[in-house]
Amino acid sequence: MLSFIGRRASHSIISVMGLLALVFFLTRLTGDPSSLFLPLDSTAEARAAFAKLHGFDQPVYWQFLQYLRDLLSLDFGESVRQNRSAMAVALEAFPQTLKLAVVAMLLSTALALVVGSLAASRPGSLFDRVVTLVSLSGASAPDFWVAIVGILIFAVSFELLPTSGTGSYLHWILPIFVLMLRPFGLLVQVVRGAMLGALASPYIKTARAKGLRRQQIIFGHALRNSLLPVITVAGDLTSGLINGAVIVETVFGWPGIGKLMIDAIIQRDFAVVQSTILVTATAIFILNICIDLLYAVLDPRIRY
Amino acid sequence: MKTRHSIAVIAMALMASTSGIAHGQEASKEIKIVLPEQPANLEPCGTIITNVGQILSQNVTEALTVIDAKTGLPQPKLATEWARIDDMTWRIKLRPGVKFQDGTGMDAKAVAFSIKRMTGGALTCNNMAKFGDRTLEATPVDDLTLDIKSDRPEPILPTLLSVVMVISPNTPADKPVNDPVGTGPFKLTSFDTQTVTMNRFDGYWGEKPEIEKATYVWRSESSIRAAMVETGEADLTPSIAIQDATNPETDFSYLNSETTAMRVDMSKPPLNDLRIRKALNLAIDWEGLKALFGPDVKRASQMVVPGINGHDDSLQPWEYDPAKAVELVAEAKAAGVPVDTEIVLIGRNGIYPNGGEAMEAMAAMWQTAGLNVKLTMLDVADWIRYLQKPYPEERGATLLQMMHDNNKGDSAFTIPIFYRSTGQYSTVSDPAFDAEIDTALAASGEERTKDFKAIFTKARTDVVSDIPMFHMIGYTRVGKRLDWKPDITTNSEIPLAHIHMRD
Repeated sequence: MLSFIGRRASHSIISVMGLLALVFFLTRLTGDPSSLFLPLDSTAEARAAFAKLHGFDQPVYWQFLQYLRDLLSLDFGESVRQNRSAMAVALEAFPQTLKLAVVAMLLSTALALVVGSLAASRPGSLFDRVVTLVSLSGASAPDFWVAIVGILIFAVSFELLPTSGTGSYLHWILPIFVLMLRPFGLLVQVVRGAMLGALASPYIKTARAKGLRRQQIIFGHALRNSLLPVITVAGDLTSGLINGAVIVETVFGWPGIGKLMIDAIIQRDFAVVQSTILVTATAIFILNICIDLLYAVLDPRIRY
Repeated sequence: MKTRHSIAVIAMALMASTSGIAHGQEASKEIKIVLPEQPANLEPCGTIITNVGQILSQNVTEALTVIDAKTGLPQPKLATEWARIDDMTWRIKLRPGVKFQDGTGMDAKAVAFSIKRMTGGALTCNNMAKFGDRTLEATPVDDLTLDIKSDRPEPILPTLLSVVMVISPNTPADKPVNDPVGTGPFKLTSFDTQTVTMNRFDGYWGEKPEIEKATYVWRSESSIRAAMVETGEADLTPSIAIQDATNPETDFSYLNSETTAMRVDMSKPPLNDLRIRKALNLAIDWEGLKALFGPDVKRASQMVVPGINGHDDSLQPWEYDPAKAVELVAEAKAAGVPVDTEIVLIGRNGIYPNGGEAMEAMAAMWQTAGLNVKLTMLDVADWIRYLQKPYPEERGATLLQMMHDNNKGDSAFTIPIFYRSTGQYSTVSDPAFDAEIDTALAASGEERTKDFKAIFTKARTDVVSDIPMFHMIGYTRVGKRLDWKPDITTNSEIPLAHIHMRD
């Protein structure tokens, strides 16, 4: 197990370094940051001084070598816009996104397991049809629209919830609800599909013949054997959320890493782009290792 | 029954807890302002950036002068009087008894420090853009007097001093800061990724503001900001979209110092022909186009708004005359101008509300006039390549969508950029016009105003290097607790001292 983790970690480090190199050169291809950072009517001299101050006047390969040198001393560079360490900026935003992602995924997965299993136990029933309709609607509803409508109904019309921001448990309700919709919708379908297969298996017939209760059959036997595809899809969806729930962060003013990353790309704040990608890539690699380990826990045939 | 009871209890608990959130500020003199963008930093040398200026200007930091929103003329602030003692030098008298929020006295040395920090080049100072490539040297004469010398005659130095934020001499001179200490009526207390807060500064030299504490938050969605003020979560938000300005009691429109226009690249055929440039102006159904921006926008004939020194009220905008436009295009064609050459209309995504729709409409109208116009929408990073010199060499004939903001009181912040051969956005190359511009920039008083008006007239009638569209309108939602109205300066500052609470 430990050697597996070590092997995966070393592969991950190589991948992260490759990714950082790619991001470094791709960001430089977007152009000169001074044209976006300085006012439009700045002089050419002011632009040249800005470039010199931040090392953008050097050849790109030279900038890259300096970046690698700084990385060795864990210096991830300064944000030209925020006047502070780019890594500090990224690490401040990441927990905000992580909290949202973890809560949204835990809730939507738990709910999808129950709802999807129950729907699969009575295929074609009214409950099954309603679940299919609701889950497909949830998976296909645009986040942006749901968020705005949610605010209009619950914050503006009924004044039950705050419109946006952070601070109290009430601030979590709308963003989590919006974030849950798509994962819930997809996972319900995955659970339902996997459970339909599992419930038709001979061992389930045997369990039924032995007189086990319905709940015991569904949640005790069939569900465990249906979890592998669910974990794969849930892991993929979690990766997407960890990368940043940009729309939810934008609409609800949630200071997460997704909006930070997009803003940094648009504003050519290279050090922040690199730091946010380093943080999210590391988190996703850790998540993938966790998922691999979870496979082994759930399926005794999988051993590392 | 039990379930229904539980739901009712939860709903009541939610309502009880949210009513505290939404209306917690009602009884106090604390206000919350919600801005469209997060300020990336709070460096006082960047107050010309909208989201920095709206927080710091006249609240935490003050300048030597302040521009009168109605006349465009500089008024005393930390400087009480000024006089030009020779072509290059202005003598500035400072206000006595002013203290910085850290207790240090404001004197000539402190002002000289602020100017040196701004112009020294050790840090990137956005406000320096207003000075162009001038160099300034400040020399204290006595405690409350200093001389400011420029490397060339600068008749509007007092106007330019409105962007020199005076900060405590204890501020690092060689690196940007996020915790500025100025002389303003409010002292910055915190700045993080979600809020900026400031409290009233009791040692302020001027009248004590009514507001005791201000908190700034930011939401990029206009509808969310408007909803925050409507529900009482916030008290004020600038720059809401026209479709969100639905409540006449709380939503105020104001001329916001921005002028929209199209820049014509005069160096490329067929746009190097005056008839074509005139036809471009005449082919647009301006009344129809106005519908995209709301009834309050004002048709523009020049690149500065009324109230800016040099704006000519008598200069008429181009009329809509499609027949004349077609005639001019035909005339140019007969004279050998390659009118069939493709003209690329370069728009910028999100430049202003309905900007993309405006470009589509204008492209269609120009095509109707017989011009081969093709629309391309670019993001800001690509668009800037066409806006600023050096322009891409491979470009053909281009029309560029742009918006210009001059709220600094003088046309000197507009004319040389757009019309001088060396101007950052200029496509004009006319030594005689350059000479007229230089004369105007060196002039002062009425002569300066007259010269600027003449330049705008020439640009409108004889040069036609741009297509002025509209002087734009901003919409601000002000909560019912506050007594305050926005004006032309609101895009650059929101002075808390001017905001009062309703009884």
